[in-house]
Amino acid sequence: MRAQATDSVTVAMTVNGVSCSRTVSARTTLADFLREELELTGTKLGCEHGVCGACTVLIDGASARSCLTLAAQADGREVTTVEGLSEGRELNRLQASFRDHYGLQCGFCTAGFLVTATELLASGEAVDEARVREVLGGNLCRCTGYETIVAAVLDAADAGQGVRR
Amino acid sequence: MTDRPHTVVPPVRARHIGASVPRREDPKLLTGRGRYLADTTLPGELQMVVVRSQEGHARIGSIDVEAARASAGVHAVLTAAEVTPICAGMEGALAVEGCETTVMPLLADGVTRYAGEPVAVVVAESRAAAEDAADRVLVDYESLPAVTDPDAALAGGPLANDTLESNLALSGAASYGDVEAAFASAARVVRARYHTGRVSPLPVEARGCLAEFTWGTEELRLWTSTQAPHLVGYFVSLHLGIPEHLIEVLTPDTGGGFGLKAHVYPEELLVCIASRELDRPVKWVEDRREHLLASIHAHEQLIDIAYAIDAEGRITGQRLDALGDGGAYHSIPWSMAVEPWCGAVMNAHGVYDIPNFEYTYKAVATNKSPVGAYRGVGYMSGNLVHEALADEAARELGISPFEFRRRNVVRSLPFTNPQGITYEEGSWAESIDALERLVDYDAFLERQRRGREEGRYLGLGISVFVESCGESTATSQAFGLGDTYFDSATVKMEPQGKVTVTTGLTTQGQGNRITMAQIAADVLGVEIDDVVVRCGESSKYAYGTGTIGSRAAVVAGGAVMRAGDAIRRRLVQVAAGMLEVAPFDIVLEDGKAFVNGAPERSVTIADVATAIYYDDAVRTDGFETELEVTTNYDPARPIFSNGAHAFIVEVDVETGLVRVERAFAVEDCGTMINPAVVEGQIRGGMTQGLGAALFEELVYDESGQLLTTNLADYLVPTMDVAPPFSFHHIETPSSHTPGGIKGMGESGLIASPGAMLNAVNDALSPFGVTLRRTPMTPERILDALALARA
Repeated sequence: MRAQATDSVTVAMTVNGVSCSRTVSARTTLADFLREELELTGTKLGCEHGVCGACTVLIDGASARSCLTLAAQADGREVTTVEGLSEGRELNRLQASFRDHYGLQCGFCTAGFLVTATELLASGEAVDEARVREVLGGNLCRCTGYETIVAAVLDAADAGQGVRR
Repeated sequence: MTDRPHTVVPPVRARHIGASVPRREDPKLLTGRGRYLADTTLPGELQMVVVRSQEGHARIGSIDVEAARASAGVHAVLTAAEVTPICAGMEGALAVEGCETTVMPLLADGVTRYAGEPVAVVVAESRAAAEDAADRVLVDYESLPAVTDPDAALAGGPLANDTLESNLALSGAASYGDVEAAFASAARVVRARYHTGRVSPLPVEARGCLAEFTWGTEELRLWTSTQAPHLVGYFVSLHLGIPEHLIEVLTPDTGGGFGLKAHVYPEELLVCIASRELDRPVKWVEDRREHLLASIHAHEQLIDIAYAIDAEGRITGQRLDALGDGGAYHSIPWSMAVEPWCGAVMNAHGVYDIPNFEYTYKAVATNKSPVGAYRGVGYMSGNLVHEALADEAARELGISPFEFRRRNVVRSLPFTNPQGITYEEGSWAESIDALERLVDYDAFLERQRRGREEGRYLGLGISVFVESCGESTATSQAFGLGDTYFDSATVKMEPQGKVTVTTGLTTQGQGNRITMAQIAADVLGVEIDDVVVRCGESSKYAYGTGTIGSRAAVVAGGAVMRAGDAIRRRLVQVAAGMLEVAPFDIVLEDGKAFVNGAPERSVTIADVATAIYYDDAVRTDGFETELEVTTNYDPARPIFSNGAHAFIVEVDVETGLVRVERAFAVEDCGTMINPAVVEGQIRGGMTQGLGAALFEELVYDESGQLLTTNLADYLVPTMDVAPPFSFHHIETPSSHTPGGIKGMGESGLIASPGAMLNAVNDALSPFGVTLRRTPMTPERILDALALARA
């Protein structure tokens, strides 16, 4: 039987290490689930078309556009958002590197860049500037011109959060 | 000048000014703790969705809202029938000669004039419920001829907006010197028509607003993602009849603006109306499709320009005719006029010494989204035509683009141009030489030559600019614009010597909080960590005209400096008593007040503040206790930054793709408060310019339908196509601004599209191809190459 958009579904997932379960309408996107049900508003919506990358989260360690993912699709899986990146109340190495390199201005796209870069650095793949520009080429930033974001990611890789080619 | 104290700032010893101090909001933003408009929620809030016109130009017959009103969770459906009696629309025009007024309705009333125009709003329990109901609003459209071509609109024919007598909504002209004689005696005349494409500023956070009207107290609070909260509050009061003292406009964290958010939009009034009608908070969050359809469009102009050039390669005369494709209404408040008017009038001759010039500026109404202000408004197109024609002239003369500019640049400043505008100081000629060194021009020419032998086409394009910044009443008056500005700041020192600065100017990511903290710390002699800055977060505090026109650093900076100086004098007076010396012997620095020449004789500024609050013994006769001062600032005279930008590109003549190898920026914005912020503004602005030059275009079809309504069709630069940057800074301080600061928020986008056009044309010069239209998409490049080969 196919669920209607307005039918309710119960979804359970682990978000930033915490188990949670909510009953929501079937059409609820993962982005709206995180933002409205869990009040994790660090994940931003920039286009809702899956293009800008601001809403990127990790699902079982793989980056996904939360605006194009239904909450139900994340049922039983582990989701990491920008709120789950920092180490307690300290910036992690990547976040600190963004601060040190002035890798953000308005901050609206930043969560998506951090999450996408986290996946890249965790992959064990050796990175260089070209690879960073390729992988993060799916995230839009309108403020920085990107150069400082590239520098921030490479610096984090140098510092051991990832591998530098 | 002493009779206008709000234009005068005290001197300051730079200690924090000039350092790349990190921003204090970054940890918050990096951990997902930023609170933007969509993250701001109120108990009981309802969600508003806008039903938008599906037609470019149509008469609206009936609107059937019954099914929508009956939908689950719906609280209200409003159309012009309900809204027009409350507000008949917002009048718009620019206060310049020859500008016709238009009235922008909040909801289209009987006729819709552009695709995406608000026609109705649905307010419901959830956004999903509101969107479901919006689909059930049935609008009966009767199509009218759509006006989409600006040349045709100018020539006559159907009206885009039948409240105007013709499509011509702006028309003006001026002539300086003897232009006719200059052209009659010219050794050569170069002329061209350039067309800068229609683009969107496209902040990654779209617009949004949340209104809460409180019955009983009649107070309205409006959270909005805006650059100009006081302007929004003024319009809400004016149009909705809510007294201004009962209105508070609040700006949460804002995800970019670039001018797009420096306007007043119908939705900002509609949420207020809905909240007042429904007695509930009402929120509207724009989606990206709406953003591309109905937030302001920008930068589109058709400009004809001609240079009369003498035998020595000097420009002796210029003719310029600027035509703006304005959309259906004047944007509020900047209008469709601001683009061609700014380009023709405020950037009349670029950096060149042209003794005779004349211009016309026109804007036509079309059935498109209203054109408004985007970073570098008018200046970008104005600069592009001067710089592109300079390159065409240099090619004709067989001299380098640097040499042509050296022959024509204003060589000595101050310079009073034929309009009577005085450019006081700068590094106009020097910046050309500095750019030539920065790009290593000889080495580039060698690489270009070798590349061509291998069938690779490298191009170097430069663009030299002067930018009006620190937008002020003086600037406005100098150029014949009837706008009045001032901005205020409040500086407050608390009993333990900590400082809160409140400015009327907002921030959308520029770093204004840290730059204002640097200024306040230096004026007061305190450590930067002892200063917190609130930037325009509530209209109830310091007044601001808007974060526009590259003015925040200069104007908010001046207000902070004047207010801080009043407190500094009070601290000095008390410290002098505590240290038993004369006030002029006291220096405030590093958190201490000490005796000049005897730094061991000191008290901490914190102790001085504590004494003022709690020790009556320090209060000598006539002493004012307050450590909270609000002052205003409005620069005394026009201010101009300058610089020169360049790109090196490689054009693939098989695919038409442009690879951007590197960007170069020589920038002179006077004293730099924070070089990291300056470079961040340049990188961001130049990348937007790269986008406007190569990728970005809002395309309408002949019926007035926008074809580019998502980010897969409207292409903005991504990391994989953005270049690395090289910088060279020159600091020529202003003689009269705070600390010699000049504004620079727009320069990256003013100069870079022209530089990119020149770079591509340089690369394609072996084919005899000259592009004059942006964006230079692969299709346009290949078409031009095919035409040249045919």
